[in-house]
Amino acid sequence: MTVNEIKGNKLAAVMKSARLLVRMNRAHADGRKSDTLYYQMLANYCERILKAKEEGRFFAAHSVFFPNEILYAMDIPSMHTEMTAWMTALFTGETADMLAAGAELGLASEICSAHRGLTGAYALGVLPRPDAILWSNLVCDNTAKCGELLMKINHCPGFFLERPFRNSDGEIQYLVAELKDMIGFLEEKSGHKMDWDKLSATVANMERQLEIYRDISELRKATPSPYHIQGFFQLLNTYYLFPGQPEAIEYLEAVRQELAEAVQAGKGAVPNERFRLMTLFIPPMYRMGFLEKLSQEFGAVSVTEPFFMHWGNGHLNPDRPLESIARHSYMIPEACSMYGPLTEESIKTITDSARDYKVHGAIYYANNGCRHTCATVKVFRDALSEIDVPMLTVDMDVVDPTFNSEDEMREKLQQFFELLEQR
Amino acid sequence: MTDLLQRGVRKLQTFEPFREVNNTFPKTAEILAWKQQGKPVFGWLCTYIPEEIIHAAGALPVRITGYSQEMELEDGNAYLYIDNCSFSRSCLQLGLRGGYDYLDGFIAGSTCDGARRLFDLWCTYVKVPFSHILTVPRKMTERAHELYYHQIQEFKERFEKFLGFQIKDEALRHSIEVVNRSRELLKSLYEWRKLDNPPIFGAEVLEVLNASFRMPKERFNECLSNLLQELSTADVRHTGRSRLMIVGSVMNNHEFIRAIEEQGGLVVADELCTSTRYWSDPVVLGDDEDPVKALARRYLNNFPCARMYPSDERFNRIIALARDFRVEGVISEIIRYCVPYAHDLPLLTSRLKEEEIPTLALDVEYGTSGSGQIQTRVQAFLEMLEAKRK
Repeated sequence: MTVNEIKGNKLAAVMKSARLLVRMNRAHADGRKSDTLYYQMLANYCERILKAKEEGRFFAAHSVFFPNEILYAMDIPSMHTEMTAWMTALFTGETADMLAAGAELGLASEICSAHRGLTGAYALGVLPRPDAILWSNLVCDNTAKCGELLMKINHCPGFFLERPFRNSDGEIQYLVAELKDMIGFLEEKSGHKMDWDKLSATVANMERQLEIYRDISELRKATPSPYHIQGFFQLLNTYYLFPGQPEAIEYLEAVRQELAEAVQAGKGAVPNERFRLMTLFIPPMYRMGFLEKLSQEFGAVSVTEPFFMHWGNGHLNPDRPLESIARHSYMIPEACSMYGPLTEESIKTITDSARDYKVHGAIYYANNGCRHTCATVKVFRDALSEIDVPMLTVDMDVVDPTFNSEDEMREKLQQFFELLEQR
Repeated sequence: MTDLLQRGVRKLQTFEPFREVNNTFPKTAEILAWKQQGKPVFGWLCTYIPEEIIHAAGALPVRITGYSQEMELEDGNAYLYIDNCSFSRSCLQLGLRGGYDYLDGFIAGSTCDGARRLFDLWCTYVKVPFSHILTVPRKMTERAHELYYHQIQEFKERFEKFLGFQIKDEALRHSIEVVNRSRELLKSLYEWRKLDNPPIFGAEVLEVLNASFRMPKERFNECLSNLLQELSTADVRHTGRSRLMIVGSVMNNHEFIRAIEEQGGLVVADELCTSTRYWSDPVVLGDDEDPVKALARRYLNNFPCARMYPSDERFNRIIALARDFRVEGVISEIIRYCVPYAHDLPLLTSRLKEEEIPTLALDVEYGTSGSGQIQTRVQAFLEMLEAKRK
């Protein structure tokens, strides 16, 4: 059996779609090099997992913000649980069966759909069964609580990595000790040894990635802004799935190069840039194409997504890889803006971004299952209002397309653009 | 059953102080009098916050809770958004509307998303002179204890700085004794519930517990001692169709339990942070031991919330409780968007099934009185338990 022939396998479906996009992009005269590299990376990512499964090699599933750079350094193929659910929604549009299976297990509809869907997918057997589940409490209760049920469904062991809430030296050392325990767990279960040189090299590459992310963010300040909404999802997926990986650096360098050329040529992401937008939280994955079209139609460009793209000024030290990985977990933009603690600094990040990127308005995608993020809707609306930046809140679900319709979303966005026009 | 309930209440004369406190909370006469004497009041959120430290400072610790009934939560929804649990929305609304305007400070832990964000928004919009949030580990390892010890120590130091004086070890030791006495008395109260025909209803026990968070500890201990004395001589004995345990999210409205008991359920045990999980384990303090160390150990090892890992720790204790109180059925009440408990439910149901204890899972809102559809489902559950017994 080849990896393409696994019946009903959602990951195989994502891989097929990614490969198709590579071919289409290559065939297209105006196809971006970065897009080709991105979809190739995704296809390779899926293939690596599927092949490991096929060959009976150890592979692990891990939750969002789990430091999967450690898995790369140990040569353990890994699958990102939430991104797999999101990519399934994006590439296949087939999430209803997964969500229904999650409900059948007894998971309440208030639980984040990415977790319900993923658990349902495992219960249905439409994802390759991992040999270990790895999860942490970053970034919410859903991630903290998802692991044990996944272990039970997959009949496999697991490791819960506890990441302390606040950022003090004691808490960093706690996390470092947790990372060491986790490496010990993986060495025992997988038979793979940690390659410390490779881990240091990976951390060095993560530092390079951070620099490129910061450069890309800087380039997006240009008027007109050169990047498209789909690109944001690609950047996000890249740091979720490929921390410190050479192919990710190649992709990010291509993006940086393309944006630099566009800025130099005065070419924006849309032909006639009218509205510069701040995107808060993640737009619905399954509507990326729709949002892209809307962006073109209204000349509305997402120029900054501070919850995800504001990497601050911290640096990583490859000579101290575990401590760097621990510190990195406090640099992750989501960890600051979404998880907390909510400080004056996190609010300032939003208002400073609005000013720096010359934003006309902000759109907050309020994901039904993301309680702690939505709790900041009013805080950020109030902060933006003080600097005269209106904010629209769009209720949605990041995976479940039945939550609201395209028409409803279009109407809301259109009204918001009209409001911005009047200003 | 209603007659029986009324008869029970009428006979327990010593119950009145608890009811009085709950009926007037958050502006109880005792809290207002405390403030009038110029003494500070600090709000605490979640059972992972050691209230002994507040007590040792000569301040009044008051647990932050929401409205006692299910309410329209316009402000709560507007500030915390609709997808946060109704407990946090209810608390915030009560705070925004001045219910807790006497507070000198607010202390919380990073226990769950709802609690974290309630703390954030309280600090942003309600505002208090002193606020502190502790990192509360999810594990119960030695390393986690060490971390939590430092967290409590740091909180104590910030608190002392705010108050302008140091909390002496002797004061802390005394406070540990006082709060341990509350735990001991509550344990005695629960012993009565193990009887075939307990002299006190589950709804009444929740009223006692609610009062325990809202009264000066010494006064509560005195009132509970009086109640226990009366129970030992009272001739009231309650019967029911089945012995039940309530598990799940935070609950303060005793009417929810009363609704179950009015249908014939005998609620003899509970696994809530407002009930057994609040009082179950004492602080064990050695003669020469640092009291903060003892607090860290107790609060992290206490009967765990669903937030803790591994969940089996919680499940094992629920099952032990069920055996101890001879529970025939479990009612799980989970507040919508209370994710830690929602994630645990499939695993807990499966564990209880292995013990042949049926579970009724109810999705509720904080403050619900258990009317309407809930009553119908409880009725069917009780019938099923009776049929099972036959």
